Amino acid sequence: MDRMKDRLDALWVEYREATPDTDAGPNFMPQLWQKIEARRVETTSVFRRLAQICVMATIALALVISAVLIPRSNYEEVFYSGTYVDILAAEHSNDYVEALPAGDYR
Amino acid sequence: MLVDFELIERARSGDDSAFNQVVQAYRKRILGTIARLIGRPEDVEDVGQEVFLRLYYSLDQLRTAEVFEPWLYRLTVNAAYDYLRKQRRRHESRMSDLSEQQVMMADAAAGGKRDVEETRRTKIRETVHDLLGKISEEDRILLTLKEVEGLSLKELEKIYRVNENALKVRLFRARQRVLKAYEAGEPEVGG
Repeated sequence: MDRMKDRLDALWVEYREATPDTDAGPNFMPQLWQKIEARRVETTSVFRRLAQICVMATIALALVISAVLIPRSNYEEVFYSGTYVDILAAEHSNDYVEALPAGDYR
Repeated sequence: MLVDFELIERARSGDDSAFNQVVQAYRKRILGTIARLIGRPEDVEDVGQEVFLRLYYSLDQLRTAEVFEPWLYRLTVNAAYDYLRKQRRRHESRMSDLSEQQVMMADAAAGGKRDVEETRRTKIRETVHDLLGKISEEDRILLTLKEVEGLSLKELEKIYRVNENALKVRLFRARQRVLKAYEAGEPEVGG
């Protein structure tokens, strides 16, 4: 076991010597900056797309809200189109009849 | 530190020329570490660019310039780990062994007198890559950093952000596993 451990330790040292640090090729830095720019563009386009989605969703929501609320408000306008006195008169048109005793119309 | 704190601060604040200088200072060392971690020379530059790309977009998260080196090593470890996991998924590890053997055979067939020392080094690299291919990516990276890169426990603590005892346990277990794989393989080289 110890013999194997010693051999393994020696192997690590040999491996370190067999793989010395080597510098990058001439294209390393230009390619790195290309990747940085590509990531930046990608991030920007993601935000732009998100913004577009938000704008579209807002417009769609506004259209839906207007489609639902505008006809309803028009209906309510029709319903309350008379003056306050007219509406009261319409709602209580039978009150006078009920208030008078039966047969006393003359 | 290969660069002064002021240069890192400048890079942090968005100075691209300062970032360039930081990359140039650490490039060789980081590429060497990656080469020993992943064992595929043809992919070293790609992984190295990924490390520096991550560095560029995470420099603003760096608390102080003093912790720059452990931070950079951490990014290196993460990029190597991601690469090794992808490789394992693609089952390409055998292909890399083959490619080096094929190069050797092509050289021999061409009648070139391959340097004896280089042949020995290639054999050592193959043995170690084969051995490390038998253990997990986590063990592989930890052992390479400790045994091959020669990082101290203190340095590893900063990279892994764990305490010394936890690290010792991890190292002990990783050593046991690699020793077991080494015994099972009984390679011809190794001292």
